[in-house]
This record gives sequence, structure tokens and C-alpha cells, in this order.
Amino acid sequence: MRLIFLLIFFKGSLLYAQQMVTLNGEISDLSNGESLVGAVVYIKQVEGGAVTNVYGFYSLSVPPGTYDVEFRYVGFNTQSMVLKLTENTRLDIELVEIEKELNTVVVSANRRDANISDVEMSTAKLDIKSILSVPAFAGEVDIIKSIQLLPGVSTVGEGASGFNVRGGGAGQNLVLLDEAPVYQTSHLFGFFSVFNPDAVKDVKLYKGGIPPRYGGRLASILDIRMKEGNNKSYEFNGGIGTVFSRFSVEGPIKKEKVSFILAGRRSYADVLARPFTDIFENGAALYFYDLTAKANWDIDDRNKIYISGYFGRDVFKFDERQGFDWGNQTGTIRWNHLFSEKLFSNFTGVFSDYDYGFSFGDDDADTFDWSSNIKTYDFKPEFNYFLNAQNEVVFGAEFLFYEFEPANAIGVSDGISSDISLDKKNSFEASVYFGNNQKINDRLSTQYGLRISSFRYLGGGKAYTYSPTLPGERKPMIGTQSYDNMETIAHYEFLEPRASMRFTLNSSSSIKGSYNRMNQFVHLISNTVAATPIDVWQPSTGNIKPQTGNQIALGYFKNLQENLFETSAEVYYKWNKNQVDYIDGADILINEFLEGDLLSGDGRAYGLELYLRKIRGRFNGWISYTLGKSELRIDGVNYGTDMAERKGNWYPNRFDQRHNLKITTNYQFNDRITFSAVFSYLSGTPTTFPNDRFSQQGYLIPLLKNNRGNVRIPDYHRLDVSVTWDNVYFGKKGRKNKDYFVFSIYNAYNRKNPFAIMFSQGSDRQPFDAPIETMASQISIIGSIVPAFSYNFKF
Amino acid sequence: MKKIILLIYSFAFFACENIIYPELEPSLELYVVDAWLNNLPGTQKIFVSKSSDYFSIAFPTLVSGAEVYVTDEDGNSFDFEESDEGYVWGDSLSSSFLQVGASYQLNISVNGIQFIGTSEMNPVPPIDSITFQYQEEDFFTTEDYYLAEFVATDLIGVGNTYWIKAWKNGIYLNKPSEINIAYDAGFSAGGNIDGQVFIQPIQELINPFDPDDADEALVEPPYLIGDTVYVEIHSINESAFYFLNEVKIQTDRQGGFGALFAAPFSNVSTNLINEDLNSEIHPVGFFNVSSISSLEQVLTAEIAKKAQEEGENKN
Repeated sequence: MRLIFLLIFFKGSLLYAQQMVTLNGEISDLSNGESLVGAVVYIKQVEGGAVTNVYGFYSLSVPPGTYDVEFRYVGFNTQSMVLKLTENTRLDIELVEIEKELNTVVVSANRRDANISDVEMSTAKLDIKSILSVPAFAGEVDIIKSIQLLPGVSTVGEGASGFNVRGGGAGQNLVLLDEAPVYQTSHLFGFFSVFNPDAVKDVKLYKGGIPPRYGGRLASILDIRMKEGNNKSYEFNGGIGTVFSRFSVEGPIKKEKVSFILAGRRSYADVLARPFTDIFENGAALYFYDLTAKANWDIDDRNKIYISGYFGRDVFKFDERQGFDWGNQTGTIRWNHLFSEKLFSNFTGVFSDYDYGFSFGDDDADTFDWSSNIKTYDFKPEFNYFLNAQNEVVFGAEFLFYEFEPANAIGVSDGISSDISLDKKNSFEASVYFGNNQKINDRLSTQYGLRISSFRYLGGGKAYTYSPTLPGERKPMIGTQSYDNMETIAHYEFLEPRASMRFTLNSSSSIKGSYNRMNQFVHLISNTVAATPIDVWQPSTGNIKPQTGNQIALGYFKNLQENLFETSAEVYYKWNKNQVDYIDGADILINEFLEGDLLSGDGRAYGLELYLRKIRGRFNGWISYTLGKSELRIDGVNYGTDMAERKGNWYPNRFDQRHNLKITTNYQFNDRITFSAVFSYLSGTPTTFPNDRFSQQGYLIPLLKNNRGNVRIPDYHRLDVSVTWDNVYFGKKGRKNKDYFVFSIYNAYNRKNPFAIMFSQGSDRQPFDAPIETMASQISIIGSIVPAFSYNFKF
Repeated sequence: MKKIILLIYSFAFFACENIIYPELEPSLELYVVDAWLNNLPGTQKIFVSKSSDYFSIAFPTLVSGAEVYVTDEDGNSFDFEESDEGYVWGDSLSSSFLQVGASYQLNISVNGIQFIGTSEMNPVPPIDSITFQYQEEDFFTTEDYYLAEFVATDLIGVGNTYWIKAWKNGIYLNKPSEINIAYDAGFSAGGNIDGQVFIQPIQELINPFDPDDADEALVEPPYLIGDTVYVEIHSINESAFYFLNEVKIQTDRQGGFGALFAAPFSNVSTNLINEDLNSEIHPVGFFNVSSISSLEQVLTAEIAKKAQEEGENKN
């Protein structure tokens, strides 16, 4: 019914549009054929224009006539021309990159004043050049580490997998790599992210004002697009670093028609250590690797096909049989098709598999293997309809099928094998959406839309009924019902309205506001201080309701000195329902009745984000500051002295950090030497200290006052510095051949930043004739200076 | 699993730990009941005390003057007399009053407050054997060693829960990481492994991995020729299984890189209640009755030789 309504709407619009002519085409980089996302087509006479979509395609309609048209993209020379438009015209443009004089950093700017003129707020676009300017841990450039320098983004400390956006959990971020969901973004427990910067074209983070085309997570969307590969000539990129090396090759298979990129990385601590130790001979391993590949075929002006894939893995093994590992695999196939000058379409098919596990045992007769995985199949048709200069309509659908294997566990004892695996869980998420970017007048622009999402938890297998208990107690299972394969067990439907607006105050400032509602159907269940790679994903069921999140945000954006400085201030307020927590002592790893251990309640987060950036010049960089709070209220948790009903009081989330300050600076000393420094300051995360001790059968047990998160661990702060030496070997002669050397120091003033505070009776054996000793210790994951280097080249 | 944690340690050479002395709120002084009875001959003890400041390193003091007795379903009452070691029933020659299949109630009356708890006496399977496996010297040891395993089969019927305790040469393996509990033959409910031999990690959790005095990065061999291993299986209540699972989570804290996998602190459960449900005073601790099966095995040169031959044949 709703779809018919949409069709009628479009039909009316089509009739209206007929007295116009359409200019459309693609904008790409002359040097390598990479399409430019967010490039601007500006027509002087209408004082407006269009912006290329994620595939570099633009379209705009104007009355027939002669126009001065400019094609612009930051870091590229603007191309201007006079066009006489009497009929629909296709015009593909290739822009030339500005010769790099100064190491100008380009961040979050589609055009110089994009932060003011875009309707979007609470977003950050990072192109790969700006990511490259900030070497992170061990001298390596890293996407997830780079976005953590933006306001509203944080992490609970070294060794934490994932990241937190505006007080949301790591499992509330949807991370897309060429539209495929990536469930685990970490290599080596978060020290590196799984994305190879050599293969990434651009990165966009949505913290709020999330457009209707995205759904399924509460906190943020991180949309990562891979490079298409140079379609003009072969190019090799690589780097040799302290922890890992990278190499990538890209080039045309058929010039300007078919191109590819292949990029790989592997860590080699194990390879380097091999001559010095024999531990790797019995099968021990410690490494990660990833491989990213993409090919695309420009069939004709109307059709383009992209195929991309990612394969990565982390392996920690004590010997042949014992250890743990995890990895993501994704595959994406996309077809861009132009139905008409104005109707651009894209069809995407996605496969994603995240699997993780551990095993131990001595030989074939005595082993224990546990593994879990989540497979996702996704199909997304999407249409951009460039209605006229005032309206750009987006509509589409998404069909997601999830297959969860919560635990594949096989124990073999004395040759007798027992399979203690849990049943597979299937679910299906379907959404349709519609949105419009509407320019109401010169000062006011809006983006609004609606996403209708539905979720089905499907059989086969068993569904359980639990009896209600006092909140916080394990709910006993009281009923079982069997379901056939693909039979619906639980069904949910939601409306998700989304809206943003921008009001221009003057040429250098604007105010923006947004509202979005999101629903999340898959939940990351983690009972550790920070998210880890072996946390369990769980679909919504009859007993676990989908999470619902609402957010409003307001912002003021102002640029100074002809866009030399960019500033912004945003406030946000989020209120969420059905946030998942768990009872004390919940068993998460292999638990058929996990639902009985889970609790749900309300969440809220609010904060202020400030941002100041100097965009150009020898000395550039930015300061971001967030004042935030994130809390939960769940019955059965933090109920204080209310023993009778156990009504929960608000308590801070595990990743609640009051202050989050990041200062990022670059100083270009001369045309070869650049210094960078990053300073981070984060308030300590909440933790719970025990109050008392008591013993039970010789074990010393901590006793708490039912006040979760009652203390804070000490604040986190750190300075990283690096120096980049450009053109080390090739000099300035070769324009194509480039190389640079990076030397970096992580944690330059050697602070032992606390990760957690541990109270324990000590791990040693306690003698019976002395009272048990108790102690507290502060744990730092990185407790020293970490110097590193990398040599990087391109030819 | 222990070895994996050690592996993480050895690679996370940047991690560090500092002892700190944070200030904590004053003690809650809650009543603590430690009442784990079993059917072995001899005395049965119940300890009643109060919780104390977390950093107060002292034995708990007995709350004296309490009336402590256990009743069964037939109205029999077993009185526990106050002594230096707690509240005690019987003497070294007494045979236990606990009967498999019966249900018992613990009654404590102290300073006008009545605490009660109930527990059922469940059956326990016998330990069929204790075997040894030969291991060549590896990354963590300086000599060849032996790993012990007990072989026992879970009783038929879903929901049997056990606590397995082990002693090496008479020393009880009492580290938090050595708390060895089983739900049927596996780790948890719903595992669908009823009536089978205990899964391998449970069988093998009777091996001590203590750091070598000479080198912290190494461990002492769990068993060598001449060592004795003694194993007991205690049948426990399902609620006691969950309680011990929580105790393990709260006490088995890995430092360094292992902190990444640590769960936040929370209170453990209890099966004791104040008879006056509206009272603000709530006890902590547990009441459980167990039947016990046990077996002792010496690692003789003969057994060791056989294990070594078997080990070599496998390779």
C-alpha cells in the first residue's frame, strides 16, 4: 500500500519535471579513474547544483539555457565551462589533482564550506589523505583510530575492540565495508583495525541525523568505501612497519573499462621471532592478516559492476591444538544502472561471515573446541531520483537474512565425543525506506524520510518461555515449543522517522537540527569490561525485544577567515529502550537458556561536542572536545536497598566518559619533513569497587553495595608524536614514485594509563594457616613508551 | 585455558600492574553463613561470621551465641554446638546424618534474627579411575611431566550438578582458577550432555599449574613420578552450582592482558533468607549438603612408564 503511494508521488513528479533538461554524468580523478564522492557541480545562474553520490554520479535538472558550470572537489583544480543545455546531456568530468605544495590536510569537506552548507550534521567524512596524516599506534595509519579523534567518539582504553559513539556500545555501531556488515573491526585486540588503508577510498561516520537508507544499529553508521583501483595504469603501494607489512597492486585489466585492486597485510612478530625460539615449531602462532580485493567493470554509460571482498583473520595459538582465532569475511557485488538521466539505481548483494572460536586439549582423544559465527546475506536495491534542483529523492529496500551459530562446541573426553552445540538461529530483517533532500529556499534545506523495518525470528529449533522472577534473578525456563525451519517465532515492525534541517544564517554560519529513530535487532552480549573478539551476538527473540533508540541533535556551524578555520558546536540527547544487560553471574558462552539471564531496560545519553579545525597552512590540525554522559536504568541492577522490588536506579554505562579531549596537530617543517602530535585526554570509565570481604569454603568473595559504577578509574591521557620524512629515496624527481618514512612514539611521556582496577585474593595458592590476603592493582595494557617506524612507498 | 592466558601474558610485554590502595566505604558488616555439609564420617561444621573491610587481612571472627540446627523432613533436628572452630555437630567418630534423596533446612537464630536455607542431598557417581598422560618438556616447563585426569560418568537425568575437588600430595588445590564445577557432564545447563563422561576440561582441572620459583614465566610440572593425586566429587544443588560459578567469576581475576576478558564485579547469590521478609538485614553465604565419592592414585614409575610409551606411540 505504502509503495503504491510512493509510486503515485513519483508519477506526479515526473510530469512536472518534463519542461526541464538534465545534466548528468560521473566525476572522477584524472590520474587513476577513481570516482570522486561528494564532488560538486555548481551552476552560477541557479546558485546551486548537485553533489556526486557514493558512486561519483551526479544529475541535476535546469530549464534549457546557457550556463556557467563549475566542477569542484577539494584538493583538485576546479574545471569551469560554459554549457548550452537544450536537451538532456551526459557529461563525464575528470579533475586534476592540485600539485601538493604544502601537506594540506583535507578532512570533512566536500567543498570548502561544506560543513556549513550541507544539511547533514553529526557526520564526519574522512578521506584517506587525512587519515594518512595521523599515524596511530606503531607508526601505522588506522581508520578506527582516526575516527576516535573526532568529537563524540571514544574508546574505553587500549586493548578494547571497537569504539563508542555518543555513549553507545561497540555493538551499536554498524560498520560497513563496501556495504557489507563487519562485526569485528579489530586486529590484535583493537591495536589495529581490520581495514587496510591502502584499499580504502573514503570513510563516513554518522553519529546522528542518520539518513533512512541506513538502519539496524542505534549509535552510529561507519560507511567505508573501498578504492576501485586505478583504471589507467598500474600502481603499487606498500609499507614495511614494525608490526606488519602491507602491499597492494592496482591497475587496469582493460584500460578505463575494467580495473582491480588487491591489497594485503600480515603481521610478522612470529616470523621474526622464529630463529630465536622453538615455540612456533609445535604449532604455536601469533599473527593476523587481511586481504582486500575489488574489481569493477565499466560496461557502458549506464551500467557498472563492482565486485569486492575482504578476508581477514587473527590467530593466537599456544600449540597445534590450543588457542583462539577470529576473522571476518565479506563479499559484495554491486550493479549501478542508470534507468534515465535522473534515475540512478544500485543493486547490492552482500555476504558477510564473522567467525570466532577457541580450542584446547592435548590430543585427539581429549579436546574441547568452541566456535561461533554469524552469517549475513543482504540484498539492497536503491534508487536515487534527481527530481529537480530542489529535490533529490532516495528510496529503496533492504532484505537481510541472518544465520547465527551461537556455539559449536565439541568436547572429546577419552575418545568419547560429546556435541554440546547450541541450535542455529535464523532471522530475517526487511526494510523499505524513502527519503527526500529538499531545498526549500536559499537558506533552508531539509532531509526527511521514513524507514519501515520489520524483523522475524525464525525456526527451526526450540523457543522457550521463561517465568517472571524478581528482577535480577535467573528466569527459570517453564515451556518449550518446537518450530519448523523458517517458521516465524517472533515478529516485530517499526516505523523509523528521520529528519534533518539546515538554516543558513550567513555565508559563514548555519544552524542545523536533526531527529532520528533507529531499531536494532541483533545484540552484542558482552560481560567483560571492554568488548572482546569473542563476545556473543544474539538476535532478538520472543524474550529479547529489539532495541529502540531516539536522538535529537542541534548544532551551530561557523567558519572563520574564508574557511581557514572550521568550528562547530553540537548538543545531542538520546533516549533508548530495551537496552540489554545481564544478571550477576550470567553464563554467556554456551548457554541454551541465555535469554533467562538477560535483562532489559532504558538508556539515555546526552552531551556537547565542540570542534575547531585549522584546515590549511604549514601548521594545521584540530581540537575536538566532548562533554558526555551515558546511563542505563535496568530493574535488577543497581537497585540499592530496594530488596523487595529491585527497581533499578540510573547507573553509568561501562563506557561513560565525562570528558573527551583530542588535539591533533601537523606542522610542515619543510617540503620533506612533517611533525605530527596527537594528545588524548579521557575521563576514567566507571567501575565498581567491592566494599567488604567474606569467605566461603576458603574462597574470598568481594561484597558490593548494589551500586554499580560507584567509582571511576583514573583519567586516561597520552601523547603520541611522529615525524614523516617524504621522498626519502625517490626524491622529488619522480612524480609518480613516492615514498616516505615515519618514525613514531606512542605514549611519549610514558604514562601507565589504567585499563582496569582489579581486586583479588591473588592468583597464588592460599595456605590454610594464614588469613587470605586481599589486594587491589591497577592494570595498564600499555605501560611504556612504544617507538615504531614504517617505510612506505608507491610506484 | 590456563596456558592460553599464559601465552597472552608472554606476548603482552607492554602490559603492567601496580598495586594501589584505594579508599573504600566502611564495612557493611553483613551476617555470613558458611554451611557446606557432607556425608563423610566425622564432624560437620557451620561458620557464622560478619563481613569485614575488603582490605582487612584477618580470619573472620565467629559470631557467638547463635542457635544453629539442621532439620529434616521427618522432624528430626540436629543441633550444632558452638566451639572455637565454629558451630559443630558430632565428633570424629560420628557417621553423617545426611541421607541421599532427603531435604534439609538450616536454621540460625542470632540476636533475635532467624535465617533459614534449604538444600537437598543428591547422589554422586563413583570415580572410575585416575589416569596420567605423559607430556614432553614444553615452553612452560623445564622437564617432562604428567597430566592427571579423573574418569567418571555423570548420573543419568538432566540437571545433576557437581563440585570436583583435588589434592596434590595432600595439598588442596584451592586457587580460584581451580574451582571445578560441572552441570551434568559439561559446563552449563542446556549443554545436552547428560549421562556421559565429564568433558575434557573438567577431567583435567585437577592439575596444578603453579609458577616456578626460579622463573615466573615457567610453571612447575603438574605431576611427576611419586606424586599422589586425590579427587573428590561432591554432589551439589543446582543453586550451589550457580553460586560457585559466580564465586569463580568474582575471584578468578587474571591480571595484565587477561583483564581484557574480566567481568565487572557483582555480588554472588545466596540461598539464605531472613524469615522476616520485610527486614533490612540480609545474610550472605550458602547452605549446601553433598554426598561424596573419592579416589586416590599415586603416579608410580610403572604407571609413568606406561603413559610415556602410550604418548610416544601416539606421536
